[in-house]
Amino acid sequence: MAKSRVLTGIPASPGYGVAPALVLRSPEPAEARRLAPHEVEPEIERLRGALARARQELGQAVGELAELGEDEARGMVEVELMVLEDPASFAAFAERIRGERLNAEAAIQAVAAPYTERYAAHASPRFRDRALDVAAAFRAVLNHLQRRELPSFERLQEPVVVVARDLAPHETIRFEGHRQRIVAIATEGGGRTSHSAILARTFGIPCVVGAAGLMAEAQDGDWLVVDGFSGTVELRPSGPALERRRRRQLRVASQRARLGDLRDLPCATRDGRRVELSANIELPAEVEHVLLSGARGIGLYRTEFFYLDRPHLPTEEEQLAAYEEVARRVHPESVIVRTMDLGGDKVASYLGATKEANPFLGWRGIRFALHHPGMFRTQLRAIYRAGVHGNLKMMFPMVTTYAELEQTLALCAEVRAELARQGQAHDPDLPLGMMVETPSAVWSAPEMARRVAFFSIGSNDLIQYTLAIDRGNERIAHLYEPLEPAILRSVDHAVRAGRAAGIWTGVCGEMAGEPRVAVLLVGLGVEELSVSPFDVPRLKAAVRAVDFAAARAAAEACLGMRSAAEVRAFLARELDPLLPPDLIGEAEPGEANHETAAAGEPDAEGGA
Amino acid sequence: MGDAGALTVREATLVIRNQQGMHARACQVFVRAASRFRSKIVVGRDDLEVDGKSILGVLMLAAEPGAEIRIRAEGVDEAEALEAMRQIVEDKFGEE
Repeated sequence: MAKSRVLTGIPASPGYGVAPALVLRSPEPAEARRLAPHEVEPEIERLRGALARARQELGQAVGELAELGEDEARGMVEVELMVLEDPASFAAFAERIRGERLNAEAAIQAVAAPYTERYAAHASPRFRDRALDVAAAFRAVLNHLQRRELPSFERLQEPVVVVARDLAPHETIRFEGHRQRIVAIATEGGGRTSHSAILARTFGIPCVVGAAGLMAEAQDGDWLVVDGFSGTVELRPSGPALERRRRRQLRVASQRARLGDLRDLPCATRDGRRVELSANIELPAEVEHVLLSGARGIGLYRTEFFYLDRPHLPTEEEQLAAYEEVARRVHPESVIVRTMDLGGDKVASYLGATKEANPFLGWRGIRFALHHPGMFRTQLRAIYRAGVHGNLKMMFPMVTTYAELEQTLALCAEVRAELARQGQAHDPDLPLGMMVETPSAVWSAPEMARRVAFFSIGSNDLIQYTLAIDRGNERIAHLYEPLEPAILRSVDHAVRAGRAAGIWTGVCGEMAGEPRVAVLLVGLGVEELSVSPFDVPRLKAAVRAVDFAAARAAAEACLGMRSAAEVRAFLARELDPLLPPDLIGEAEPGEANHETAAAGEPDAEGGA
Repeated sequence: MGDAGALTVREATLVIRNQQGMHARACQVFVRAASRFRSKIVVGRDDLEVDGKSILGVLMLAAEPGAEIRIRAEGVDEAEALEAMRQIVEDKFGEE
């Protein structure tokens, strides 16, 4: 039996599914063949017939989806049908058959190829996610040309993980009535906004997309573990590991059923302390998850995506459209836009940045922005202008010194004055905050707090800089530890400095996503937690299960400890009994992200 | 200008402003609307020009938010057609 493997893809629909694979192989690539002259006209007739049958199939799918009330999927199949009904499609196929004497299969592929190429090379990730769409619509014709028998879900008695290169909307109609047997979907192609991803979310099926190597690795019947939270696909786990994964699947399922009920309940401790629970996003399309998760607003809207993966700088109007869209949809809740956090490992070639020996100690964050005032001003203008359309705030990444903060605020003042002079609608009172993610910012927090409206602690970087750990370095990655007392004391210092100046402090970063750590942060006086939308329900359940007084006492005790191991042991002993058991069961012994817990300490599951 | 020749050409340059750009659904809305007119409708982006009544054509534009497209209408109802198409782009293809 082939070896166990873990592939990393993109989390596209939350959830956790474990089952044998059902691999859907696409009919392509069909063999290209040069036709003899007398074969040309019969080939065109063959194509015409297949095209007609494909249209009929899709038309029927549209009807069935409409009846089921699956409007999202129906809309997508309608577009596929429109492509097949477009006279230009038949004309293009026929031209290839007549002109190049290609067989019908090859002609279809030749017509689809320029679309796939153009989209795959597109500057916008959303369009890259669509690279396979035209080819997917044509796949219906290819299937009919070859009169291929598609694997039918009818015959399925057991649960499966559906594996495919990508899923065309019309192919998902076959899921209907069998959804309870499809425990997860994994695709090799696509991105977060691909059709496969959108459909999985609307069907509520856990899904990972963009798992490179999947089609080569997965065979029918292989056990697969699809983690739609983290975006991994594990193939053929060993017997004991498989048992653990299956137990986790059951836990996650029961937890999700319960957490769904929390969506409209407030995020507050049992004794009434409110915590702003918000979500992190990168693309406007993710607002949908935020609204569904029950988060209050967006605590971190990353904007790097405008600058990376594209050949030119984003215009003010383009940014305005995106910020405005997000602000409107989330209104009246607030959206915190983080200005460009480029540099480090995120550099676009056209910015002319050169490779640095030490990028994380280099030209990045606000340093980078202040070195590109033209580009930075364009972004500031767009944010200020979008501010009139909702409850927008702005924050600056990687601020190290007070002087940098002053310089940034001065630039903001100039931009406001310029917009006022031009009579351009904008929000002059847009709250400005800063990220606290360097030790320097922690220690300068008392002075900085007087100049901003809020602090947001970026825990990933703060841990990395405070502990001098490069997480990317395998030899030391296990030393990356959010619960080191030095980290907790840094948070405490920033929160106190903020409170003394009358401002609130939030935490955005992975640290806030673990329920027991989140409770500890609340105890330290953190007033806002911003996490992945998928983590929102779990955190809400955790916060609602404890008293602020207990969280506070736990925080005070931990501040005086000597090691992360001591903190972890304490939390397991004192805090875990207060939390819903299925929340703290998240950490499987031996699972990657918790493997590093200090030896000998009571493990989340293993202990007691 | 004002030339009342037999063949007048009307053209507009527009910026795509909807959140998702001219993705499949937006193309569908565009093509359906264009198909209601008798005039020939040509859509261009950079040096690519396609038939505005063909979804296969319009999909090839791959016009993301911020992209500039040119719409040209030629025929008996060209003024009306161009105005309608402009409206659709400016209304962000009826999204949101």
